[in-house]
Amino acid sequence: MTLFDLAFRSMRKNIKHYYLYFFALIFSVVLYFVFATLQHDPAVLAQNEQMSTAFLAAGILLIFIAGIFVVYANSIFLKRRSREIGLYQLIGLKKRVVARLLVIENFLLGITALILGIIVGMLVSRVFLLLLMKLIGYDLMIDVSFSMTAVIQTVFVFIGIFMFTTIQMISTVYRNTLLSLFNTEKTGEHPKKPKTRNAAFLAILGIALIVLGYLISDNMLNDLFLFNILAVLASIGVGTYLIFRVTIGWVFYKIRDGKAGHLGLSNSLSLAPLMHRLKGNANSLTIITILSAMTLTMLAGAYSFYYATEHETRSQMPFDFIFEKNETEATELSKEFDEKGISYTHGAIDLLVLFGRMEEGAMPVPSNELYIAIVSDKQLQQAGSDIEAPADGSAIFYSTSSISMFRDVIEMPLTLHLADDEKTTIEIAEYAEGNSINGTMLYSQLVVNESTYEQLKDQFTATGQAEMSRVDGFTITDSADLEAASEIYVQRYNTSGHIDYYSAYQRAIETNGLLIFISGFLGLVFLISTGSILYFKQMTEAEQEKKSYGTLRQLGFSVKDIMRGIIKKQVFVFGLPLVLGLVHAIFAIKVLSSFFQSDIAFAAFVAMAMYTFIYLIFAFLTVGYYRNTVKNAL
Amino acid sequence: MALLKRKSKTTDQISKNTVLYAQNVRKSFGSKGNVQQVLKGIDLRVEEGEFVGIMGASGAGKTTLLNILATIDRATEGTILISGSDISKMKDAAMAAFRRNQLGFIFQDYNLLDTLTVKENILLPVSLGKMRKKLAEAEFRTIADILGIADLADKYPHEISGGQKQRTSAARALINQPSMVFADEPTGALDSKSASSLLGTMADINEKRGVTIMMVTHDPLASSYCSRVVFLKDGNIYTELYKGDKTRQAFFQEILNIQAVLGGESIDAL
Ligand SMILES: Nc1ncnc2c1ncn2[C@@H]1O[C@H](COP(=O)(O)OP(=O)(O)OP(=O)(O)O)[C@@H](O)[C@H]1O
Ligand SMILES: [Mg+2]
Repeated sequence: MTLFDLAFRSMRKNIKHYYLYFFALIFSVVLYFVFATLQHDPAVLAQNEQMSTAFLAAGILLIFIAGIFVVYANSIFLKRRSREIGLYQLIGLKKRVVARLLVIENFLLGITALILGIIVGMLVSRVFLLLLMKLIGYDLMIDVSFSMTAVIQTVFVFIGIFMFTTIQMISTVYRNTLLSLFNTEKTGEHPKKPKTRNAAFLAILGIALIVLGYLISDNMLNDLFLFNILAVLASIGVGTYLIFRVTIGWVFYKIRDGKAGHLGLSNSLSLAPLMHRLKGNANSLTIITILSAMTLTMLAGAYSFYYATEHETRSQMPFDFIFEKNETEATELSKEFDEKGISYTHGAIDLLVLFGRMEEGAMPVPSNELYIAIVSDKQLQQAGSDIEAPADGSAIFYSTSSISMFRDVIEMPLTLHLADDEKTTIEIAEYAEGNSINGTMLYSQLVVNESTYEQLKDQFTATGQAEMSRVDGFTITDSADLEAASEIYVQRYNTSGHIDYYSAYQRAIETNGLLIFISGFLGLVFLISTGSILYFKQMTEAEQEKKSYGTLRQLGFSVKDIMRGIIKKQVFVFGLPLVLGLVHAIFAIKVLSSFFQSDIAFAAFVAMAMYTFIYLIFAFLTVGYYRNTVKNAL
Repeated sequence: MALLKRKSKTTDQISKNTVLYAQNVRKSFGSKGNVQQVLKGIDLRVEEGEFVGIMGASGAGKTTLLNILATIDRATEGTILISGSDISKMKDAAMAAFRRNQLGFIFQDYNLLDTLTVKENILLPVSLGKMRKKLAEAEFRTIADILGIADLADKYPHEISGGQKQRTSAARALINQPSMVFADEPTGALDSKSASSLLGTMADINEKRGVTIMMVTHDPLASSYCSRVVFLKDGNIYTELYKGDKTRQAFFQEILNIQAVLGGESIDAL
């Protein structure tokens, strides 16, 4: 079976050349398999419905990423091998035979990657499951059970993907003439003189669109929020494309023109080849930039959610337990805490509930009416809170309703009219984070000092414009007792629809842990895909330029001199998409941060730093590949 | 075997005008058990302003010798001095710097960088900024004029003819005012008209600017432009011919005669 032998030999030779592609293929299989395993794992299924649905959705996304990556990488390698394909035909092999050769080779490569990927996947899925369980705050030891369903699912998905690459290969053989097969390796367009006026206009338009997008994103918190999002996405997307397609070429052209032939070695090795391939690279660099920005935003967002879970939950629920208008239950709970030896602070808080009205235009919301509970800071403190109200006649405002998005935007101090009374107003000194009493989202809260509270209470209960309500707040002294206390509460009041702080925190950490796991996973897959694609493309370029490096070496330039120019090129190829992606993401995260009560800058920074770190590994690998090429060029 | 085996042994014979001095240069390829001796002890001296042609049958070791003298490759044995510097003792980095500053190269297949214009290609050897920009610009003007490629400065290699490419390559070899220019079959890929035009220009540059040139060629017509032709056979210098006051026609005839003795492809070279 000579054809099979030939295919096998050619595959072995190709693995040596394209080991990274092979590795990436295996990696895709591993990640998908791990995902499929988790999706069907009993421990995950036992958690909750939401989790397996999330895995299913993410798995579908993963198929798309892996599919696009494999097909794209295959097209790069097919281009590199087009000369070999041409050669087979030149020595007289029929197209049909060449196609069959490639298909067999592809099949062998795919099967090997699939088998290796599944084996590695089985080994590492336990690690991932442990990581997931740790992230969602589940400490029990668990075993990953081997899932045949996951294996079958993975095999099907990748066979599907390999079908695409097979079709790709067959069409390369049949659709191309011999001549074009021999020439594809050389294709790189020759830089043309840009039509100055058009190019200048588009070049500046690109920058302007990006700046416009940033400006809108900075002021997007108004009635037109959804429209703003679309406007930002469109203007940044188009702007980024123009930057890569026109602006850079235009700037490069200007620089080169200004040099009047005295380009210098490092520009000859960076600027010139970049200009040479700008058209071919514009699309992929744009896509990589946009996708980097999206991944970064997703990662930073997910990590922020996870990181801020405790803070966010606490700011919504400052008390560990509350009872609304239920003094008896409160007393019973405190009795049980006493029996179990759990120490706590308990206090009753009186609420003065009424309508308030803000001045026209004070907040960017359609209605100026607010449903308000006025409380005294002293009562809050007695229940364990540390809120302190300002001077007589002014208040701290708390609200986690939809207006909290505008918390940083609303100007303070602000005058609030109470009840239907035109004369009685109160000054809001500060819009504080979170709630003062565990939120029912129903009313905003005004914390005032005791004398103000008493005065308002007298006034409005007399006129009947306000209602009185009562909340019992509990704060557990030692946070180590929280879990036990929560268990008692849940057992007693599970059905009452109210939730205590600790349960809410557990629930949130589960959701956010899952979120960070899945987005981290997808982010990693995406990052590795984009990184390898940049690497593959640069690898091809290095091969194409090898002769130039040889010439330069012969002319007496050292490897070091040449590498300086090449590194400059890599700084551009890897750096620009990264930097633009980071800046895009920073603006997106700034918008995102208005949905958080807490500061997410640190979490976002950590996510970005990790992304950048892994991304840069690919840049270093690329530079290493170039260094080898240059060294062996002479 | 050899008709005229030169036996210059002592280094102190080097006169002030000697640009290149090679003694007992040997080169073998391959590793233990399978060693192929390509150069078997070459002695060669090139005076300033000479235009030396190197001829010999395919596989005689011409390219190997040129690469060694041009510091692109290293000899297995022997001493080589260029402008008084002993390149056989230089480290790689020093050798590269020496090559960049002191030598020029013209290659058979031009070896121009596709991504650079003609002018950018020509200025490459001075692109590390040792030469002042004004000086480089003036030098470029002069050389481009002599070679007749001044109008092509902003064109890319794919836009010009083979002969023009080779002139560009020649200009690149001259831009850093080298002590010596090495050319390996510079006319190999050119038709006879572009070839003689390029050779004429090279002879012109050699004469007027006093640039020392060493050129490997198969073509007796090409070597008739030289002032001296060295014949290699089996890794040794077989003989050499000086043009002296002879006409190019007569010199050409002499070269043909030697080639006939050497055998090989002399007949089809016509
Ligand atoms: N890098 C190398 N490794 C092994 N052998 C080599 C190497 N370079 C040259 N040779 C051998 O040295 C001999 C001389 O080669 P060289 O290229 O110098 O010949 P040449 O005279 O230039 O021939 P041509 O006229 O065909 O260019 C040849 O037999 C060749 O096989
Ligand atoms: Mg040769």
